[in-house]
Amino acid sequence: MSDVSATMDLRRRDAADKLRGRTRYTVDRYLPGMLHAAVLRASVPSGRIVRLDTSRAARMPGVRAIVTAADAPGMMGIGIADHPLFARDVIRYDGEPLAAIAAGTLAQAQAALAAIDVEIESLPAVLTMADALVPDAPLVHPNWRDYEVLFEGGAREGNIAWEATVVRGDVDAAFARPDVEIVESSFRVGRQNHVAFEPRAVVASYEDGRFHIETSTQVPWGIRNATARVLGVPASQVRVTVPPVGGGFGLKFDLAIEPFAALLARASGRPVRLVNSREEEMLTCLFRENAEIRIRSAVTREGEIVGREAVVLMDCGAYGGEQIFLTTMTAHTLGGNYKLGSVRLVSRAVYTNTAPNGAFRCCNGVYNTFALERHTDEIAARIGMDPLLFRRRNVLGDKDLGATGQVFEADVLRAMLDRMDTLRDAVVPPPARTDGRLYGRATTVGTWFVFVGPSAATVNMNADGTATLVTSGVEIGSGSMVQSLPQIVASTLGIAPESVTVRAADTDAAGYDVGVGGGRTTVSLGAASLSAAQDVRTKLLKVASEMIEAAPEDLVMRHGRIEIAGAPGSGRTIAEVATCAQAKSGPVSGTGAFTGTGVPAMPGCVAGHFIDAIDIPVFAVHDCEVAVDPETGHVEVLNYRVVQDVGRALNPRAIHGQIQGGVVQGLGYALHEEVTIGSNGRVCQSGFETYRVPLALDVVPVEISLYEGAPSMGPLGTKGAGEVPILNVGAAVACAVANATGKRIQELPLTPPRVLELLLDRKRDLTLPHIAETWSDNLVRPHKTPRGNA
Amino acid sequence: MALSLTVNGDRVASTADPAAPLVDILREELHLTGAKPVCREGFCGACMVLIDGKPTPSCLTPAALADGCEIQTVEGLATPGQLNRIQAALDASDAVQCGMCFPGMVVSLTHLLTASPDATREDIRAALTGNICRCTGYERIIDATLLALATK
Repeated sequence: MSDVSATMDLRRRDAADKLRGRTRYTVDRYLPGMLHAAVLRASVPSGRIVRLDTSRAARMPGVRAIVTAADAPGMMGIGIADHPLFARDVIRYDGEPLAAIAAGTLAQAQAALAAIDVEIESLPAVLTMADALVPDAPLVHPNWRDYEVLFEGGAREGNIAWEATVVRGDVDAAFARPDVEIVESSFRVGRQNHVAFEPRAVVASYEDGRFHIETSTQVPWGIRNATARVLGVPASQVRVTVPPVGGGFGLKFDLAIEPFAALLARASGRPVRLVNSREEEMLTCLFRENAEIRIRSAVTREGEIVGREAVVLMDCGAYGGEQIFLTTMTAHTLGGNYKLGSVRLVSRAVYTNTAPNGAFRCCNGVYNTFALERHTDEIAARIGMDPLLFRRRNVLGDKDLGATGQVFEADVLRAMLDRMDTLRDAVVPPPARTDGRLYGRATTVGTWFVFVGPSAATVNMNADGTATLVTSGVEIGSGSMVQSLPQIVASTLGIAPESVTVRAADTDAAGYDVGVGGGRTTVSLGAASLSAAQDVRTKLLKVASEMIEAAPEDLVMRHGRIEIAGAPGSGRTIAEVATCAQAKSGPVSGTGAFTGTGVPAMPGCVAGHFIDAIDIPVFAVHDCEVAVDPETGHVEVLNYRVVQDVGRALNPRAIHGQIQGGVVQGLGYALHEEVTIGSNGRVCQSGFETYRVPLALDVVPVEISLYEGAPSMGPLGTKGAGEVPILNVGAAVACAVANATGKRIQELPLTPPRVLELLLDRKRDLTLPHIAETWSDNLVRPHKTPRGNA
Repeated sequence: MALSLTVNGDRVASTADPAAPLVDILREELHLTGAKPVCREGFCGACMVLIDGKPTPSCLTPAALADGCEIQTVEGLATPGQLNRIQAALDASDAVQCGMCFPGMVVSLTHLLTASPDATREDIRAALTGNICRCTGYERIIDATLLALATK
């Protein structure tokens, strides 16, 4: 409990130094005696290493250490340990690391890389999911059966790294009903690059027999554990600390280049700095994956969705990584938003000889929401129902079943659609436009969730009346660590938020945490911090009760004082109480811990899933209007509105900033951020010249309404707010462009050439022949057969 | 022959390769790490500095071209205890997120405040074409610039 509201308009404490150029990100850390490292990367997408001889490179000027596959015996992965740190004998993607060198200068390290004698025999490559799914296609991992399974339950076979299925109800019966229309839609999306401004960067040293890794990451504990795994050392020998991070967006949710620097530091006995070049970031970033989706629904003329089935192919690149987990998400994204009489979904992570993909803000959700919302509009058109009315009828409400059979609480989406109507209708419609452009508007809905999971926090109460919050949280720019967390602690203790010092992440100082991502910081770290602060509060009130001679329940903590409720100015300052407590029984501190409780799904519905249901659903309604130039195919977004379910907004201004930024990242995805892979297996967009991120001239101010009050197990009723703003931008823009042009939008991004092709009817309807006509023919094994590999 | 640079009012000599990008000399020799070499191709603007008062990407500037010039980096735009006009406005507008682009933003916008005191919203949007931000979606940066222009 607390006596002061946790909702505050707290400014960021890190802003002034960031504006002065004083903030030291990982890329700005230059240690005395530090070496510079560089990584040799493969330049073929598939091959066998015939010779890798580093003896000449070792004699090059300035070289202090060289490490190769022999130095990193372990294998990493999510679900399946399929990923070595360096290519061992086999190369699976263009850009795969072969060796790393530390030298006195970066130029020396790069010169030495060029002196490594390497001979590679090229092998046939599968560069697309269509190639990978051809019968008898070359296998990216011929020995896939031999890998250690880290999480049981996923079906696997050949180039299918992981397969997750959902089956609820009798879908065949639904599709066979005489009173339904069958609507089928296919979609394809490309990759998206995070373009975090700070590249992945690390400074590692080896001290007292342990690795100290200072790195630009979202997951300090993930780096600790994964580094230990690939290096084959106990995890307790790895310490990870994290300076301010210059942008993450999911890019830094996985192990990256940390082990190279760690190995080189141990080998050389010197601190080692390794920073990815922008080109390395562009070519080997853990992209939002490209995906292909076929979705089919059986819908009555009255607009009831009685059956739905879908196949989602997700390209994981050369190694499974995050996509293995993300196959789970299809159930809650493509299977989300709407009431379904029956449903079956299969989500398949497919190996290809391309750079591994990873996590990106609203992973899996962004393209599945695009597909679902475009499909929804196609359904509405087929049965002749207004698309908004169709949504209003079908969105998940109180007691409705989700795809996996979880029971949803409260009528949130319907109320949010009403809120959007109010926002939209408040605007005076513009006069008829006569500039020859095509105008269209759309409203879309989206379902996301908070990725809960374990977090720990300690609050140390200092005798001067300030508190120190110690967690493994990382400030990646979203503000959670400098706004919501200190606000929660401050309100619980009745002190100013400026009096709460937030310790930067250090795995030696704070307990385990899943990491910053999935909208979980305010929820999970917030809950742990709240509980730690409440522990401190209870202890202080007990001491104060003796000092003031009043019962603890009659005391309040506010304005830096502990006083009798209803008697402002009575009692003592918190500093006095903390000082007294410290003298009597030692310094006061409190600890807190949190993890998701788990929400039940319907037994038997899911197979190969990492979670069966979503603990904290988060909903979003987006509305946008576009103008399409029929001469050029250029799409201009004229206005954009967001109603976002935030549970409770602790810092509304900060959330508005996240929404504006997230929507703009989504506009890039929807309109012009395009990644293509050449016939050589290499990503074609190697820099800012060819990868077009939104500029100031491309954006519009987003009109925002925060929807508060939906149920949440988050502390003080909060939900994560920074992840979800990107969720339905691709969907809203695509639906609006479809409405403007009358054309079937099946792919993103909607670059001018692609839109022009549509307008000129030069674009053939998208077909996905590698998705089998009969749903069950797409499965490695039938849903829910006994566990174990296929 | 040593290069002679004036950086934030200090005369400094450097023996660096004259072809070395100015941003590397600022960061590695002078420990002025405010300028960020984010793209090294002149697109993103995060390494922007003022050279004789003109906003210039320091990643594309060979050190020799700055020889004898007055260079101002983001670190030199405000007195130690105070933010300059645009910094204060960006702070007040809660515009900052990850912050990596802001050193360059601040340099470009500090120049804009004096060079275009009558700039409109559209002028500011156009002026920011050479400064990319991946976090914020720009609007607050534009609002803050208008605020700074209004508080002369």
